This record gives sequence, structure tokens and C-alpha cells, in this order.
Amino acid sequence: MSKIELRGVSKAYGATLALRRGDLSIDAGEVHVLIGSNGSGKSTLCKILAGSVRPDGGEILIDGKPVTITGPRSARDHGIGIFYQELSLAGHRTVSENICLSDMPVTRAGFVDRDALEARAARYVALFASVAGDGFSADTTVENLRADQRQLVEIMKALATEAPVIIFDEPTSALDRAQVDRFFEILRDLKAEGRSIIFISHRMDEIFAIGDRVTVIRDGETVGTERIADTNPAAVIRLMVGTQDELAPTNGAPHATAVARTFVLTLQNLSGKGFANVSFEVAKGEILGFGGLHGQGQSSVLRAIFGVNPVASGEIVLGGKTYAASNPREAIRRGLAYVSGDRGRDGVISGRPILENVTPIHYLRQKLRLARPAALADRVRPALEALHTKFGGLGHPINSLSGGNQQKIVIARWLIDRPDVLLLDDPTKGIDLSAKTDLFALIRKLAAEGMGIVLYSSEDAELLNNADRILVFNGGSVRRELTGADRTRYNLYQAAYEAA
Amino acid sequence: MTDATLPTTRPGGLKRLVERYPFLPALVIALVLLALNGFYQPRSVSFIGITGLTKTYLALMMLAIAQTYVVYAGDIDLSAGAIVSLVNVVIVVMMEKMGGSGFSVVAALGLGLATGLACGIVNGVVVAALRLQAIVATFATSIFFTGLALYVMPVAGTPAPAAFWRTYGGRFFEIPFVFYAVVVLAIMLYVLARTRLSTQLLAVGDDAQAAFQSGLPVTRIRIQGYALCGLFAALAAFCVTGDTASGDPLVGGKMTLFSVAAVVLGGSALSGGYGTVIGSIIGALIIGLINSLVFFVGTPSEWQNLVQGLAILLALMAGILVGRRARA
Repeated sequence: MSKIELRGVSKAYGATLALRRGDLSIDAGEVHVLIGSNGSGKSTLCKILAGSVRPDGGEILIDGKPVTITGPRSARDHGIGIFYQELSLAGHRTVSENICLSDMPVTRAGFVDRDALEARAARYVALFASVAGDGFSADTTVENLRADQRQLVEIMKALATEAPVIIFDEPTSALDRAQVDRFFEILRDLKAEGRSIIFISHRMDEIFAIGDRVTVIRDGETVGTERIADTNPAAVIRLMVGTQDELAPTNGAPHATAVARTFVLTLQNLSGKGFANVSFEVAKGEILGFGGLHGQGQSSVLRAIFGVNPVASGEIVLGGKTYAASNPREAIRRGLAYVSGDRGRDGVISGRPILENVTPIHYLRQKLRLARPAALADRVRPALEALHTKFGGLGHPINSLSGGNQQKIVIARWLIDRPDVLLLDDPTKGIDLSAKTDLFALIRKLAAEGMGIVLYSSEDAELLNNADRILVFNGGSVRRELTGADRTRYNLYQAAYEAA
Repeated sequence: MTDATLPTTRPGGLKRLVERYPFLPALVIALVLLALNGFYQPRSVSFIGITGLTKTYLALMMLAIAQTYVVYAGDIDLSAGAIVSLVNVVIVVMMEKMGGSGFSVVAALGLGLATGLACGIVNGVVVAALRLQAIVATFATSIFFTGLALYVMPVAGTPAPAAFWRTYGGRFFEIPFVFYAVVVLAIMLYVLARTRLSTQLLAVGDDAQAAFQSGLPVTRIRIQGYALCGLFAALAAFCVTGDTASGDPLVGGKMTLFSVAAVVLGGSALSGGYGTVIGSIIGALIIGLINSLVFFVGTPSEWQNLVQGLAILLALMAGILVGRRARA
């Protein structure tokens, strides 16, 4: 009998189906790997098990008995612990307090039992004592730790649940070799104790080093479970790709290859927070794609170029001149444009009319101080029409529009005064299909007119269909460049899961 | 990097010290202010002077403590002052109705605590369970509580019975009552700091989502923070009543933002997750010392508000600069 079993679990966020039919069966004493491309639903599946997301349908069985998991507390009571990819640490608390946070020992008088707390935390700190590095001790506050050390604390916290089932959602992304080795030794001990481990990683070598079985999820659906001993990386990737391994259509045929390529943007060994040694050049009229699993540095590079995040070292050349990415204002003046998929944070000026949402860049680039609304409206309309934006009137608040049309407004902002380079940071997140079609038609048109475009998309089909070249990111640096006929789903996944 | 004027045992010693005791900058400011007070008015640092200062500002200290617990969790309570007003009029009216005997005082205080607790729970439910914005929601409840206070006592001026304010201003074994209150308060805070709730509030303030994912009952913890705030606001009301010896339905209104200022002066982060109760007490003390200093220096009355405001700004800046330097 399986320790834990999921049958047909589903979850939708609004109109987006994050998980269509999740099936999973975990035995006691095994390390079970979950694998799938971006947005395939593996993290959603884990969050459902951990109680931080409620499923819409399906069944969860523990030891053969159906259970309802109502929240993180209830998951713990059912014997499920989790390591969160985005970490769940309290920055101002100490390592010990974080390890014991969810279940602090108390004395009979109701006070926190400091001695018991320290003693319990010390057990888990000791597990990693040989690899934790300088400045790591049980009484350090978490905000003073390095990224890898924080990840170790989150691992210790997951271990401290002492749960029979522990989920590790990308626990090794910031760890060095020795730390991963130590972690795997601990996992093997847990396995020997008969505990079940669900393991997600973006490194194929790790998956094959530690896993017993692997379950592949594609487009929100479980497509198969294999014993690791009976399979190989190529077969797993083929299962992830499924029947979609057609050659990327070349409807956006490379424009600039024949002519002498003039580079509008060149990066030389750029490093910063979340990425290292990134070099590439974008030619006039080219669409350069950023691919790979989500959060491997793609966004960080784009945001660094646009001056949102600091650059540690390296050089950026923009239109033939070196450029210090100091802040977005400077970037805009130099002819850069940036559109983020996170409209709420980076794009929409919430609650304000459409006109005001389209014009801020125009004001900045033309150094406008005063403008007549009617004159502005004349400049704005063509930009909006180019995208087939549907709106009631320029005076209507932007919030009255659908997500897709809001994003079109944000993009139209950049079209009044054409930039030289357009940076797209997962621009289609959460927008409908027809808006996506309009968007990519426009992007290809802009490229044809000579704009250099960098497109990061977490949807692989968008990349394969639209990018002339694809740089595959893994662990903050470029692993592989895919051009021409190499631009296939198979190659994309293989590079994305390559050892960092 | 660290400040060379302070002795440090090892590199980063000051940084460690401030990290461990975030109220240190505030303590330095308070001591400087105390010295200035003594310079301009030597009697102000005498035993009687200190007693008077404590008697007057114990209420603000209590309210600053109250505010600290909600700020721990990243919330804020703009109704704290209104709760003080409400509890003030409730206990004065109750004591008057029951004839002002010793028993009536005790009964009224019990009712006062219950009132404060109830107000705190209302705030907590509105903010944490109904998920309204803390600033706006508690601003709304502050108007509501003030309305209740005006219903209980439409006009200020009903006196508190002598048994009550004589005790507050009196002495036992030659030691002023307020010092006993301070000792009891210190024990209470020591106990509270050792409960699970303090750590849980701070963890919620650090990152509510992370705390939820760790299995903490975030909503309940935030409500408990507001409940604690209501209780300490009631204690603040007792001090106000002891100090002013009368009921006034608007007495606490001005105190709300002073309590927030005291929390910030004490080194706590309004965004939550970081701070100390001691710091807030010292912050309240700083505000009190500034007020008395402005008076002792002989500022003309029409300039007093302006000078007070500037002085509080300066204290805030000094505290933040020292804290930032030490933590950089």
C-alpha cells in the first residue's frame, strides 16, 4: 500500500488551470522525484499536499485512508512537512527559532522552553555543521546569513517537522557541491528510516543520483511514473516533451542574419544578484529568447539591464556606447523599454485613467511638462490601435479592462516614442489567448521594423514560436544557445535540466 | 565601519550590540535629554522630579507598550487613544455610580480591563479576520470607540473618587505608588517576553505568508496582538485617570500618534518583525523628557508646540542614523 496517494487532484486559479489531473503515489522509504517544465503544476501539487493551496477536486489518501487537508497546520497533523522553494523564514529571528517556529516547546507554566528549543534546533544544525560555512550558528539571525545558508535553515526546518512525508521543492538551487552531498546523505538516512521524500530539482544529475522513482507532469497532468534504475535522462525528457516535439515553426524567420548585423545591445560577462557571467548580443531586428526553468536568472538579467537591480560587474554596450545601468529613468532615456509580466508591480498605474497609463514614457522622453489632453490622445490612439486594444474611452480607469488589455496599455506606453531595445520579462503571464496572439504579432512587426527584442517567457511554446535564438538559463548563467533547427522542446528541456 | 567613539570589544561589536538591543540609541538619547533637563532645572532630576515625570508619562509608556505588540506583527492600532478615552470614562462613571468605595474601584478596574480587551478583540477581528487595512480599519474603530465614550460621558469633568487618585499619587512605605506600578509592569513584560506569543507576533511581522506556511495560526496570533494592545490601553487609561483624577471622553485621542512615535523612537520597525517593548518605554520617556525640557528652557508658550515637534524629529533622526550606522 502506498504511504500517500493523490488521485485526479485539480486546481484552477481563475481561468487558468494550474493542475488538471494530478496523480501521484508515494511509497514509504523512497525518494520520489517530480519533474515537469515551467507551469506544469508540480509546485501546485506540492502546495496542495502541504495545505497552503486548497484543491478544487480529487482525492488524497494517506495510508489508504482519504483525508482532507485544510491548511498547513492540518498537513502537519497528517504527517506532511515541506521545504518551500521561496523559503518560509522569519528574517529577524534566529536560526534556532526558525527551526522550531511552528512547534515551539513550552514549559508547564506556558513560557517558551529556551533550553528545549536550543537543544532541538542544535540536533538539526549539527547535521550540517561540516558544510554550513563561516558565520553560521544556531543563534545567528537569519537575515545575516548567505543565500545558501538560508536554504540550509529551510531544510533543517523541514527536517525538524520529523514528518513521515517530507516534500523538498527545489532545495538545492543555492547549495554548493559539498552541501548537496551532505544533504543527500541525510536523505538516504531518512529513507532508511522508512520515510517518504518528494523531491523536485532542476538538475538532472541530482535527480538520478538520489531518486528511486520519477513522476513526470506535463501541462497539469501526470503522464507517467518510472523507476529511475530503468530509465535515463533522455527518456525522461522525452516524456516531458510528449508528442509536442515538432520543429519550431520559423514564421518569425531571422531577419538580420543575411544583412550585416548591427548590434543594438551587447552584454559582456555581466554579473549581479541572481546571475553570473552573462554575455550576449542582440542585433537590430532580432528576437532573442531567454529560456529555461522559471527563476534561473532570466528576469534578474533583464531587470539589471533596465537599471532596477544593481550590476556587480561586467559591461553593457547600448547602441555602440557603453552604458552604466544605474536607474530606469536613465535606461528609458537611452532607448530601452521594459515590460514585465507582473503588471501589478511594474506596469499598471492602478485606478488611473487609460490616458495617464499610456503617456508617462512620452512625458519623460519628450521632457514634456504640460500637455493638452486632446493632442496627447491623438498620439496615443495609433499606439493602442496597433495592438487592437479594446477600451471604452481614454478617460476610463485602467482597472476596468481585462488583464490582456491592461498589458496592451502598458506595452502601448512604449510605442509612442519607439525604443531601440525592448526587454520583455514574461510579458504574457495571466493574459488570454487572443491578447497573446495580438502581442506576438506586434512583437514580430516591431522586430521587422528594426527593433532589437529580448524575450523571456516561461511558456516554452512562445519562445519556440517567436525567438530567432534561445539562450537557455540554468542557475543564473547561460547553459546553451539554441539556433535554427536546434530550437526544439527536447533541446530546451535538456539544457534546462543540465547540471549547473 | 563601526563608530570609533564607542568602545568595541571586537570588530562589529557595536553592530552586534545594537542588533541585540535595538533600543540602545534611544537609551543614549534619553540619557542626554535627562542630563539636559538636569542642567536647565536641577530639581527635575531629583527624586520628586523623577516621580512626577513617571506619574505623568506612565500612561504614555503603557500605550506605547500596547502599540508595540501590534507593531510586532506589522499591524498598527490608531484606536489605542480612543480605547484609553473609553476605558477612562467607563471606570469613572462606574466608580461614581457605585459610590466610590474601595470595592467599587476594584470592580470598575475589572470592567475597564474587560472593555479594553473587548475593544482590542474588535480591532483584531476587523483587521485580521475580515482583512481590512489596519490603518483605515482602526481609524474607523477609533471614531466608533470615541462615540461610545461620548455616549457614556457626554461632557468631561466627572471627578474620580478620592480613593482612586490618592492611591495613584500616594506613597506606601515612603515609596511612591507609581514605582510599585513600574515594578509590576516590569515583571509583566518579562513574563510576556517569554511566552510563545511574542515570538509568534514577530514571526508574523517578518513575513505573514511564511508564518502561515510554517503552520502558525496567523489570524489568531494577530487578534491576540490586538487583544494585548487593548489590555495595555486599559492600563494606560487607569494611569490617565489616576493622573487627571477625572473622566474625559476625549482624553486619549492625542496619545495615539505619540504612542506610534514612541515605538519608532524605541527602535522598532513599523513594518513589523523587529523591535523591543523596552525600546517603546524609552521612546515614551524621550517624548516626556522633550516636553519637560521645552518647558524648562523657558520657551514662550506660543512656540512650545513648534519646538516640541522639531525636537521629536531630531530625536527620530538621531535614532535612525545611529541605528543605521551600527547595522550597516
